[in-house]
Amino acid sequence: MTNRLAPPGLYIHVPFCARVCPYCDFAVQTGGPRRRGDFIRLLLREIGLWSRLLRGEGSAPDRSAGQGSHQAVPSWRSEQPFDTIYLGGGTPSSLSPEVLEEILAALHGSLPIAPEVDVTLEANPEDVNTGNLRSWQRLGITTLSLGIQSFDPDALSFLGRSHTPEKAGAALRGALESSFETVSLDLIFALPGQSPMRWEADLRRAIEYGPDHISCYELTVHEGTRFARLKERGELVELAEDDKAELFLLTHRLMAENGYHAYEVSSFARGPNHRSRHNRKYWDHTAYLGFGPSAHSFDGVSRRWWNERRLPAWEAGLQRVPGASSGLGTGASGRFGQSPIAGSEILAPADLVLESLALGLRTTEGVDLERLRDLYGIDVEGENGALVASLRRDDLLVDTSPASLLVPTLRGLAVADALARSFEIPPATAS
Amino acid sequence: MQTIRNFCIIAHIDHGKSTLADRLIQRCGGVADRQFRDQLLDTMELERERGITIKSNTITLTYTAGDGQTYTLNLIDTPGHVDFSHEVRRSLMACEGAVLLVDATQGVEAQTVANVYLALEQDLEILPVINKIDMPAADADRVLEQIDADLGLDPFETLQVSAKEGTGIDELLETLVAKLPPPQGDSGAPLKALIFDAEYNAYRGVVLLVRVFEGTLRPGQMMRLMHNGAEYEVEEVGLVKLEREKQGELSAGAVGYVISGIKAVADIDIGDTITEVSRPAAEPLAGYVEAKPVVFSSIFPVSSDEYEELGKALDKLKLNDAALTFQKDSSSALGFGYRCGFLGMLHLDVVQERLSREWDLSLLLTAPSVEFHVTTADGKEHVVENPAEYPDPAAIEQVKEPYIKGSILMPDRYLGTVMELLLEKRGADTQFHYLAVGRVEVTSELPLTEVLFDFYDRLKTITQGYGSFDYELMDYRATDLVKVDILVNAERVDALAMLVHRDKARARAIHACKQLEKHIPRQNFKIAIQGAIGRDIIARRTVNAYRKDVTAKCYGGDISRKRKLLEKQKEGKKRARAFGNVEVPQEAFLAVLRSDPDDK
Ligand SMILES: Nc1nc2c(ncn2[C@@H]2O[C@H](COP(=O)(O)OP(=O)(O)OP(=O)(O)O)[C@@H](O)[C@H]2O)c(=O)[nH]1
Ligand code: SF4
Ligand SMILES: [Mg+2]
Repeated sequence: MTNRLAPPGLYIHVPFCARVCPYCDFAVQTGGPRRRGDFIRLLLREIGLWSRLLRGEGSAPDRSAGQGSHQAVPSWRSEQPFDTIYLGGGTPSSLSPEVLEEILAALHGSLPIAPEVDVTLEANPEDVNTGNLRSWQRLGITTLSLGIQSFDPDALSFLGRSHTPEKAGAALRGALESSFETVSLDLIFALPGQSPMRWEADLRRAIEYGPDHISCYELTVHEGTRFARLKERGELVELAEDDKAELFLLTHRLMAENGYHAYEVSSFARGPNHRSRHNRKYWDHTAYLGFGPSAHSFDGVSRRWWNERRLPAWEAGLQRVPGASSGLGTGASGRFGQSPIAGSEILAPADLVLESLALGLRTTEGVDLERLRDLYGIDVEGENGALVASLRRDDLLVDTSPASLLVPTLRGLAVADALARSFEIPPATAS
Repeated sequence: MQTIRNFCIIAHIDHGKSTLADRLIQRCGGVADRQFRDQLLDTMELERERGITIKSNTITLTYTAGDGQTYTLNLIDTPGHVDFSHEVRRSLMACEGAVLLVDATQGVEAQTVANVYLALEQDLEILPVINKIDMPAADADRVLEQIDADLGLDPFETLQVSAKEGTGIDELLETLVAKLPPPQGDSGAPLKALIFDAEYNAYRGVVLLVRVFEGTLRPGQMMRLMHNGAEYEVEEVGLVKLEREKQGELSAGAVGYVISGIKAVADIDIGDTITEVSRPAAEPLAGYVEAKPVVFSSIFPVSSDEYEELGKALDKLKLNDAALTFQKDSSSALGFGYRCGFLGMLHLDVVQERLSREWDLSLLLTAPSVEFHVTTADGKEHVVENPAEYPDPAAIEQVKEPYIKGSILMPDRYLGTVMELLLEKRGADTQFHYLAVGRVEVTSELPLTEVLFDFYDRLKTITQGYGSFDYELMDYRATDLVKVDILVNAERVDALAMLVHRDKARARAIHACKQLEKHIPRQNFKIAIQGAIGRDIIARRTVNAYRKDVTAKCYGGDISRKRKLLEKQKEGKKRARAFGNVEVPQEAFLAVLRSDPDDK
């Protein structure tokens, strides 16, 4: 059903960073050459296991290894070759070109990969130099995503980034002069005390370089991070909701004026071909397969599973997988597992519908209720007629689209989570 | 019987009753040292936390006096706060004497006076005792004067103690057995025992506390409650020490407990008389008047599936708290709940806190109200305490509200500011007279409503703690009452309506609107909050639509996390109540009821 027919994507999580940023809540850590070596070895093993699984070798899902109902019994239903590879993390650009080559070779050698595959590398400006740029192109990297975050020196130091605005500029220029299909950069805004003027100056500077794609993320203070602790002690005061909204609207206005089309809450591209092909798979329930700690996978129908989040647990899981004939079962966090997989769930139709709403309303493509009804047998439209009408009247949804197609306006995009929450999701009708 | 002494300790709040009880208990070996803790009898968590006594507590002690005689002392520690004066009244009925404590640093205060009158009504022997003489600010001579002048008691019979340090305790005990009369009564006569308290025990059912006036109570006996006629077999009787101590019988003069298979709270009335079925007394003991609630508020569970639980909890609370009343209520907005009556705001507070603490219920309360007497054009009289039942103003001939006679005792230097406060509170016929040099008693006739809300706090503040207050209900007087409605997006929220004097309507409406504005979270659309009398809008606030509510990033493929967060937020909405399409959370309701110092 779903997007089973769309080509799936591959994600590799490289869990290492030179240091951990105070706002970061990804599964990352610092780590020397030995740790990294171990990681690569096990990553290749994980790829190998899946390769056999996809070829139908080995006992596909290893049910005996799972515990009770929480079995992660990975299955792969897509028959299409993968057409995106995303090297994320963490800081994958800190791996040497040789190691990156090894990983890519393993993927190409053991999994079905489409010839026109889009390969994204997340890169730290500090890792960008002529040598690396050349190697990355040689390796077939098509999209370079630069973690620049800001061109404002004060902002960079607040965010705990070690690069300077000059270094960021040089990295960006270098990347643009190379022949990647897409050069993208990440920015963070809505920092404590940030005025619209200050943010506008920062954003304008980024625009001046003319990258193909820009992601502008509002600063989020995640639980468990250093910023969260500062906030609790009153040493970090987030911007008020109205100020955040103002910056958000300013961002979208400025981007539009400069030819960047917003296709998602935080993502802007200079043309449709520069949109992230990989991220889109997350947003429309296409299949994706993830490797490395904390990586998530989805079978394109209803099953999602995820790896152990912590590197040691993921490693332990892979170390215990016996030889070639085995498959993957559930590992148990903290104990010796037989698998790097930490858990899984089967999404009920109502879950899929809620996710579709939440994700679709974050995009300018919107979400088609008729399609949801056909796919999942849930009539969202029938149950929420009055709501939809009022959202259109209040200028949160675009008025012009066909009745069943919900497309958020800019104001709607700014409150997409609230929109998603306001829908009543009725039970599925057997169909 | 000659060796029994039944007495209670009475005083103004905080004068040291519970601390004195501690000393008496220790002196009489009623508690092992390792079991001892301060204010031993205040067993409720809430009592210990707030350092106040809410319920009377009874304990039986044994004391061997200087004359070599061993006495049985039945001591009742009582609460000091005016809301709980019914507890005092009830305890006094079980006694022949009262120890009246007066704080040596505070002197005679309003409740001291009120309690003396209660004790005199019951014809009890009063033993005045000055407490806290260890304190540097103690001024025993001045207090002796007040005991003479304000109370008309004999200063020469007044003892001086420090309950905290234990000084004067022996002398107090000796005086107690010498001066307080022993109980009278005939243990062979037909049974008459007063139920003066009851508590619910999960294993034993209802445990009654009784004072036997005539006859004897024994296990196996068939007993009858004289007012409600119900009959039970006595299963067990005994004394209340730190633990219950089983006895073969309780005879005239004794204070103790009775267990008799009574299952439900509602089955008994505190103040009822127990007699025997085989040989009933001619008439019940006289004089007990039930405490009548004066403040009413409806309590609703935040989540409607807790309604049944709320009913059970109220039933159980009622067992230990005869003054609490409740009956089913319903609101178009809040569904089913209970309309409850309380003795005052502290009582309301305590009940609410016990419900949420001991039963883990989340509750919504409506604005507290007193009882109004409404005469409609058709000549009918209505008693209205619930705004929902307030008749159409066009049909109202006259409304009367309850007035109290208030008495304030304080140093005269605060006279000016206190007079101002009384004026603001619509006080009438305000008078004052000197009790002694520098000390005045101010009396005033005030609407009960004005006294219930924030009066004590403000009196305490402006008199820097030296003013004390007591009141009694007087009569009903004509008033200019209006019903203030609160509208959320043009929809009347019945649970937020209130009945107030016209002069106070605007201020109360503004307060409510402000609090709602502060506590209603932003939603998809603008929310108008209005206060209105009929069609006239008298206050207005707005909650803006939210403008930013979207996470910046979806964590790679971890969409499950996003979905679970949304589900949780949706769940959170269920803890709010919806009015039209507006979610009003519990905090908003509670905030409306809180008085806000900024509003003055
Ligand atoms: N210095 C001193 N403090 C005392 C004495 N007796 C009581 N106190 C203190 O006064 C405060 C009130 O004492 P309680 O025994 O709780 O007073 P209470 O009369 O039972 O109070 P309510 O039950 O709330 O009416 C406590 O902090 C006691 O420690 C005393 O003799 N000397
Ligand atoms: S570089 Fe990125 S992944 Fe690494 S710690 Fe910073 S924010 Fe996290
Ligand atoms: Mg006490």
